[in-house]
This record gives sequence, C-alpha cells and structure tokens, in this order.
Amino acid sequence: MDKKLLITNNIRKLRFFANEMTQLELAEKSGASRQTIIALEAGKYTPSLELAFRIANVFGVSIGEVFECKSEGIEA
Amino acid sequence: MSYNSKKTIASLVAGAALVIAYTVYALGKRSPAPNNLESWAAAMLVFIGISVAAVVVIQILFHIAFAIGIAVKEQDREDKKVERIISSAMVEDEREKLISLKSARVGYICAGIGLIAALAALALGGSAVAAFHILFGAYAVGSIAEGIVGVYFYEKGVRNG
Repeated sequence: MDKKLLITNNIRKLRFFANEMTQLELAEKSGASRQTIIALEAGKYTPSLELAFRIANVFGVSIGEVFECKSEGIEA
Repeated sequence: MSYNSKKTIASLVAGAALVIAYTVYALGKRSPAPNNLESWAAAMLVFIGISVAAVVVIQILFHIAFAIGIAVKEQDREDKKVERIISSAMVEDEREKLISLKSARVGYICAGIGLIAALAALALGGSAVAAFHILFGAYAVGSIAEGIVGVYFYEKGVRNG
C-alpha cells in the first residue's frame, strides 16, 4: 500500500538568504503568480516538477534543497 | 482572500442573481405558456446572453476595482512596483489551471446528472419544457458549484495528482 507523502519546502528560508528576495520577485523569476508562491510557502500547493525546477534554478540550488519529501505514515 | 477568489465570488454572485431573476420570471405572470417550447427557449437564450454580458462587465469592473485597491494600498511604493503586483496577480499559471480543471469537473458532473435527469423526466412522460428546465437548472447549479469549488481550492489549497 502507498503511504501519503508530505512535500515541504524551504522557499521562505532560501528567499531570506537570497538577499531577502520578495515573493513578487520570485514569482516573476519563476513564471508563477505571487499567489502561487504564497500558497507554496503556506504548504497549500504542491508544484509540478517543472515549476519546482524553475524555483530551484532561481536560487541556483538543486531541487532537493528546495523541496523535501516526508512520509506522513498514514496509509492512503 | 486572493484576487482569484474574489473574482470567482463576484462571478458567482452575478450567476446566482441571474438564476434568481430567471426563477422569478419563470414563476411570474409574464412567463410563456407551459407548453410553448419556442418562447421558453427564447427566454432562456435571452437570460444566457444577459448572464454572459453581466459576467464580462463584472470581471472588467472587478479588475478596475482591484487595480485601484492595490494602488491605494501600496501608495507609498513607486508606480512600477504597483504595476508588477497587479500583473503578478493576473498571471494564469499552473495552479490556476489546475484549480479551474478540478472545479470544471464538478460543473461537468452536475451538467451530466442534469442531462440524465432530463432524459428520465421525458421517459417518464414529463413535458419537453420540464426536461428543458431540468437541463437549464443543472447547468446553473453546475456553474455555481464550479465557482464554490474553485474558491475552496484557492483558499484551502490544491495538490497535483
């Protein structure tokens, strides 16, 4: 049986270390809307692989440094 | 509440108001005779036309009000920044497409149920006008449900897959 995966991200932290990049700047650089960045940071949206790569590229890090995957332990 | 949620709610209110207006018309004294299918079809076409025009006008007015609201809220910032905030809110990205797909599915389900119910009504000896109204009502309910589900996903979040 599959276990539910919880995808978390470090976008807020990465924005802080990227000279306090604003959500608007990240949205513009990654081609998403500001609302999507807000939803991502709040854990209300799981991005597609493409957007995940684009966000990682903005920060110049690997995708694994932006997104982390945890097993929720609840069987789906 | 996000720009998209507010925009969807504005369209929802317009849609609901037109459904109420049609119901009042259909139950009123000026409504066509129960078996006059042509007149009912014409009335529905008029209401559909009005609803399309109303949604377009409301979207334009909402867009203007939103832009003014942002400009007032961010008046301390430079114009370019305000423009960037407004254009960023208007971007239709993958999240918005996903939400619109997921909510449209609810609308299609309602319309499908309506079609089956209308066919069942005809098969059971109901009038064509009754079947017509069931279909029309199902589309209206589907459209409202689509909006509600859309707002739910905008506010509560959505997952790919």
